[in-house]
Parts: sequence; C-alpha cells; structure tokens
Amino acid sequence: MSHLRYTIKRLLQAIPVLIGITSITFLLINAMPGSPVEVMLGPTASEELIAAAEERYGFNQPIHVRYVKYILAALGGDLGRSIHYGVPVTTKILERLPVTLLLLASSFAFALSVAIPLGIVSARRRNQPVDHGSRVVSLIGVSTPNFWIGLLLIIVFGYHLQVLPSNGLVMPLTPISEVEGATSRLDVLVQTVRSLIMPTIALGTLQMAAVSRIERSSMLEVLGRDYINLARAFGVKESVITRKHAFRNAQLPVVTIIGLQLTSALGGAVLTETVFNINGMGRLIIQAVRTQDYALIMGTTLFFGVMFVIGTLLTDLTYAYLDPRVTYEGED
Amino acid sequence: MAAETEETEDQEYESRVGASYMLSRLLQDTTARISLILIAIISGMALFAFVDAEFLDYRLAETYLYHPLRNNAGTRPLLPPVGLSNQFGDGVLAHPLGTDTRGRDIAVRLLYGSRIAIQIALVSTTIGVVVGTTVGAVSGYYGGWIDDVLMRFVEILYSIPFLVLVIAFMAAFGRELIYAMIGVSIISIPIFARLIRSEVLSIREETYVEAAQAAGVKDRNILLRHVIPNSFAPVVVQTTLQMGTNILIVAGLSFLGFGAQPPTPSWGQMLSIARNYMLPAPWFSVWPGLAILITVMAFNILGDGLRDTLDPRLEN
Repeated sequence: MSHLRYTIKRLLQAIPVLIGITSITFLLINAMPGSPVEVMLGPTASEELIAAAEERYGFNQPIHVRYVKYILAALGGDLGRSIHYGVPVTTKILERLPVTLLLLASSFAFALSVAIPLGIVSARRRNQPVDHGSRVVSLIGVSTPNFWIGLLLIIVFGYHLQVLPSNGLVMPLTPISEVEGATSRLDVLVQTVRSLIMPTIALGTLQMAAVSRIERSSMLEVLGRDYINLARAFGVKESVITRKHAFRNAQLPVVTIIGLQLTSALGGAVLTETVFNINGMGRLIIQAVRTQDYALIMGTTLFFGVMFVIGTLLTDLTYAYLDPRVTYEGED
Repeated sequence: MAAETEETEDQEYESRVGASYMLSRLLQDTTARISLILIAIISGMALFAFVDAEFLDYRLAETYLYHPLRNNAGTRPLLPPVGLSNQFGDGVLAHPLGTDTRGRDIAVRLLYGSRIAIQIALVSTTIGVVVGTTVGAVSGYYGGWIDDVLMRFVEILYSIPFLVLVIAFMAAFGRELIYAMIGVSIISIPIFARLIRSEVLSIREETYVEAAQAAGVKDRNILLRHVIPNSFAPVVVQTTLQMGTNILIVAGLSFLGFGAQPPTPSWGQMLSIARNYMLPAPWFSVWPGLAILITVMAFNILGDGLRDTLDPRLEN
C-alpha cells in the first residue's frame, strides 16, 4: 500500500517539473530567430503567404495561448506535426525511441556489470595493484569524452581490424529482408549485438567509471563499520561478509549515482548516436534543432524530460527497496 | 576568509582550516602535485592563446609558431606526425603532430583550442558557483516556500538533459561562444545550488549560527559571514570537478557544431573534422581527444586530492 502511495506522490511531484520543462523549451523555441512558418515555406515566400499560414497554424496568437493549446493537445497525445519530416511528431518519436532505449539499456547493463565487481574488488584489495589499476581505469573513464572513445573504436575495430560495423544500429525486430546478409531471425540478432558493442562501450564507459568509483568508496565505508568488524571477529569468511553483510548496504549511494547518471547518459546518447550514425532520439533532436523543426524540438525535449522523471522515480523506488529504513511517510 | 578568522581567533594552535594549511597538505600528494602543474601549464597555454588571439591578432603565433587559422605557405594537408611513415618527407619536424585537412599545424591548433576549453569552462563554472551558491544558501537558510519554489526550479533545470538544454538555448540565441558559456553555466547552477543547500541545512542548526541570530546579526550577514564560508570545502572540490565536466560538455557541444565556429579552433570541433578522415589520417582523431582527456583528468585528480585534503572524514 505504502509503495503505491509513495509512487503516486512521486508522480504528482513530477507534474510541476514537466510543466517547467515544457515551458522553458517553449520559451526557448519562441526566442529562436524566424518563425516556423518561414522555415516551412522557405525564404522566397511572400509576406501574405506567410501571414496566411501563420493564421492557419495559429502562430499569430499570443505565446501563452499557444502554450496552453500545446499542453492540452499533448495531454491528448498530439504533439503536432514535424515540418521537416511531414509526419506527426509522436510517430517520429515512437520510431526513434526504441533505438535510444536499447542503446541506453545496453550501456547501463555494460556499465553496471563491469563497475560493481570492479568497485568491490577494488575496495576489498585496497591499495593493492588491482585497486590502483581499477582506479586508474575509472579515472580515465570519467575524463574521456564518449564521442572520442567512439571514434577510436571505429578506427581500430571498424576500419583497421574490420571486425565490427561502425555505422547504424540493427534493431532486433527489423524485418529479415531489410538486414543485409541475414537469412534468419538469429542472423538479425547477431547483427544487433555486433552493431551494439561499440556504441555501448562508448556511451557506457563514463557511467561505468562513475559507478565503480562510488561502489569502491561506498564498499570501503561499509567494510569499515563496527558490525563488519564484529562479523570478522566471529570468524566469518571475508567473501561471506562482502556478499551477505556489506554489499546491500553499500548500494544506496550507488543507486543515487545511477539515477544522476541518467541525464548525462541521455546527453551522451546524442553524441554517441551522432558518431555511429544511429537514428535514435539523440540524432533526432539535433536534426530538429538544425532544421528549426519546432514541434519536433518540443516533442523530443518533452520525451527526454519524461524519461528522466521515470528514471528518477525508478531510482527512488529502488532506493526504498534496498533500504527498509527508508520510510514513505513524513518525508520532506 | 580563512585568514580573517585566524587573526581574530585563538592563534596558539596550528590552524587546520586555513588555505595555506590546505595547500601544504595537498602538495604532499604526488598525483595532486602533478595535476596542479598540468593545470598550470594548460592554463598558461590558454592564456597565451587568449592574449594572442584577442589582442595581438595572432601575431605571436605567426612570428614564433604557425598561424592557427591559415595554411602555412603550401604545407601538405594531412601530413602525418613525427614517427609515422611519412611518404611526403617534408616538414616532418616542423609539424610534430602533423597537419590538418587544410595544412594547418595541429599542435598550434591544439594550443589555441585550449583557450576555448579553459575560457568557457572557467566562465561557466564561475557563474555556476556564484549563482548556485546564492540560490542554494538562500533556499537552505530560509526554508519554507522560498525553498520550495527555488528547489523546484533547480529540479527542473536538473531534469532537462544538459546537452539538449544547451543546444536548445544556443539554437534560440545563437552559436557564439558567449551563449555556450551561459548555456553551460545554467547546467552548473543546479549542481552547486543542491550542494550548498544541503550544507546550509546542517550548518543552520549549529550553535554559532543560533548565537549570531540571538545577537541580532542580519540574515544576510549570517549567510555571507558564517554559513557560506563554512560550506566552502565541498564547493571547492565540486568546482574543480565541475571544471572537468564542463570542459567535456564544451567539447561535446563543439563536436556537434555548437561552440567556437570555424576557423577558430576548438578541441571538439577538430574532432568533428577529423571524424571525416578516420581512414586516411587516423592519428588526426587522436590528438584533440588526448588533449581533452589530459585536461579533464588533471582537474579530476586535483578534485579528488582536494576532497581527501578537505574532508577529514576520509582521513587515514
């Protein structure tokens, strides 16, 4: 019951945030030079034509009226039409969203599966060569631009060794006939995995490094607590202590960091998708800005915002699950 | 700040809060020392490039090095760096890192690119610290509806993916450097606001703040003289780390074409050019990335070192 109430409360709290995101984006878009109609009709259009089109699309109305109209339409699932693509924004987003979600999921899976063991080993063997090595790796990881990692991977594995594709991302559900050289679903899946490897590493390295740093310091802190020393005094094996007593308690700061990493991962997706020519949300938003596709910019930003809100919500719920002491009542 | 309190308070004990104490502890750490030297060198390069580009119209570069914006009298484009097989044979040592697609010396362009990285990161981090600290301190100290309103706003800024936020901002106002600075500083504000707020929340409960309130000290003075200086340490650490983060963001923006516009060199923009020549000139993609990596790493190491020095809880 309390889980449900907490979730609802968090969802309600997300509303002002979403309103804020949309209004900031709306204001920014309206501050852009040139009106969407001018972009749509091109530089040669006559004044009358522009005025008529503005009238037709409602761009001559005051900004707050347009904002409210936009929000009401958005609530009904209508985000307007993309000027550049000539299709509804929702159609375009739904086409691109799975690509970015797959990329994000795979890079977080990579990051966590490397970072958590790395951080734990590092903490258990503090100041030993393993620890130094893993700290250097994570330091480099948090200091390297992800698009550069992408470029280097392409140079080495794409061009030099020619073992991995450096362009695009094959979605697992792509029709078999559309995938080059594929004769079965399995071939398509193999292609998916192959095309995911490099973007995953490029995008996930920062997350991996950030999480392993936190995992290490958090484990170190927990492993130094009294109850752990007590367990040691009782002769409990170190591996059992790590697994049974320290691990879960050390994960709280890690979960927080993972939640915070979500925004940087969304931003990183923009760069990674550009480097690997992947047609996901990130590239879509850049294209939208370049072509001044107003409705598309609004729609994609809104979606990014929603993804972030869902992400933080999941973080909070995980937090509560991991730490039974976290209460849902009487917060704030 | 610290020196002031030292003078007025008991001087018999060795101060463990002063800036000089901090610095001496920090310098005991070899990696921190190396990172400080690196940062000094890079900042020196950036300052040199800034002065030469802004005030001397690249006269220093032309006299002693190469002009970073122009081809140097018939130099071959994409000349490989020293050490790689060089079938062209000319000017190898003159262009240690090779030349770019227009025959411009890459080393010189890297040097002038450092200016963009440091300049934007410095300005935006400073704005972030100042505005963020103010917002966070006011929010945490007063609490109530002020806190609610300010923190909701901070949360909104926090929720928009930063790259998207800056790109939208620059699309609206322009792709000039100044907008990149403002855009990146908007990203930094919520980070400092949250940090300071949580510090202030605990400091607010301290007895000395209560004493100051009882003595009738104005809120503004309590904030400026007691609360903010006492939350100084985490801000210093975060500022250093944020410099690194902001350099990464600036590089990403330039890579996407939002930042310093050609021909002005920036590291991210050099990478976006190099990207089109990965097959014939792979080394071209290496240098700018390496420059970013070294600079950001220096700030990260310094930040870690500062945290160890300033946070006694981590001592041992």
